[in-house]
Amino acid sequence: MSSTPNSRARRSARDSEVSEASTPARDTTLTKLQRLPIHTRYPSTPSQLAASATPRSSSRYTPGNRGAAPSTPYGLRAMQRRAANTPGRDRRKSGRGQRETVFDVLRNLSKALAPNSQPIRSSPQPPPEPEPESEIDEIDELDNEPAPERPRLSLPLDEVEEDNDEGSPEIRPPRMSLALEDDDLTHTSVEYPRRATFDRDRGRLSTMSYGARLSENFGDAMGLESGSEDGDATGMILDAGGQDETLISQGAFDRGGDTEDLGRFNFDFNFPSPNAPADDLDQDGPLNDDEGFELPPVDLGLGPGPESDYSEDGDATGGFGLELNLPARVSMSESPGLVGGGLRDEDTVIQGSKQKKISRHGIPVPTMPAGVIRKLATRFARARSGPKAKISKNTLAAIEQASSWYFEQASGDLAAYSKHAGRKTIDEADVTALMRRQRHLSNTMTVFSLAQKHLPKELLQDMRLAMPPR
Amino acid sequence: MAATQKLYPRATVKRIVKAQANRSLSKNADILIFLDYMLFMQELMREASIRSRKAGEKHISPNSVRKVTEKTLRKFKG
Repeated sequence: MSSTPNSRARRSARDSEVSEASTPARDTTLTKLQRLPIHTRYPSTPSQLAASATPRSSSRYTPGNRGAAPSTPYGLRAMQRRAANTPGRDRRKSGRGQRETVFDVLRNLSKALAPNSQPIRSSPQPPPEPEPESEIDEIDELDNEPAPERPRLSLPLDEVEEDNDEGSPEIRPPRMSLALEDDDLTHTSVEYPRRATFDRDRGRLSTMSYGARLSENFGDAMGLESGSEDGDATGMILDAGGQDETLISQGAFDRGGDTEDLGRFNFDFNFPSPNAPADDLDQDGPLNDDEGFELPPVDLGLGPGPESDYSEDGDATGGFGLELNLPARVSMSESPGLVGGGLRDEDTVIQGSKQKKISRHGIPVPTMPAGVIRKLATRFARARSGPKAKISKNTLAAIEQASSWYFEQASGDLAAYSKHAGRKTIDEADVTALMRRQRHLSNTMTVFSLAQKHLPKELLQDMRLAMPPR
Repeated sequence: MAATQKLYPRATVKRIVKAQANRSLSKNADILIFLDYMLFMQELMREASIRSRKAGEKHISPNSVRKVTEKTLRKFKG
């Protein structure tokens, strides 16, 4: 619309015939249109009417015009109505009418913008120019990555620990997992010294340590070997980021089959692993140490037993279960050399939980004897899944953990109830209140009927004596 | 009728609750607490067996127990 001069000029070239010839013979055009089936498809626009006025113009006009003006019937009808309503039809015929069709407007826009669009192209262009630089930067970034990631590793660890505390019985084992992670970190950190040696000795070790070199070598020996490294490393190594690659390569370095499993684990753990231990290890630093670190966990932890756990985890919940299990294995195999701050803490905690737990109030809490728990568990499991129900040692441990949590929770609730009642002792009434709130008791279900179901007679008698039925 | 011929260690249960709650227990409250504990175990094993069966495990695995623990504990929150 705004580009009237351009459009006029252009149109004048095409439609000069149309506009000039338009006025005299509308009636004739209409009649002709009615005769010709083709024309009926394109109801007459003012421009068309004008064009068809002279016989020659109409003949020429129809074929050429199909492409241009009459594109949609609705648009053309709208044009006709406008032309009919507006007083100055002649003017409209000159080409403004055409202008107003959507396509014309768009066309004009595009034409008007065509010269302007070049500067627009220029604006995207500048980014591409820097891109090649950015590629180079990426290599640098690989070198830079390890440092920023270390903080990441520390953070996730805390979160994992918290989660474990809240929900799952083996919170501490996850901490143990940290130990594995520590190993990984140590590898990465230790690798810095490695790089130099590797680059020099590259001919020997190249097959062994693709990944480690990738990230690190770029930083150190970018100019020299970067090209060759890219080819080898990327081809050989997995898709994952620089860290993952390094880990995998390490696993390969240490061993064949067992280490592969480690590699998987490492993927999960890489990010969460803590920095501090890594630093210590760096100082200690030589290559041999790394190998030593990984090996003990592999031997001890990755036996048949853990693998079975692993598969189970995979079935139940992908990554989470893995984390839980790994720590446990690590705890089994804990190697003295690994020592990070986290590891020591974990060890102490675990021992404490196993031996004697100390309650919130600082009173040592005895644990429910395993025999009783096992008896109960097998009994209920049998009721559930037949006489063959079997409870493994690990399962029993999980159940023990759960029951200790249960006692903690229940006694906390009971204490709250008795306190609310203004008593200093936990009474039967408190327990019944608890069970009622647990929906175990209702108007139809009394403590006694429950007890009758579950408790041996002696206990039942004691209970009856203690609480007269209401 | 209950299969437990031997009484559960009453003293232990009492001591556990006493330590956790920092309160003394009335004479026979521990029986009820143990009753509740049995209910808890029943529920726990039920959920665990359901879960392990869903996962296609032959026996109840420690993981299924662990997964179920939080849910069951929440159910038993007074």
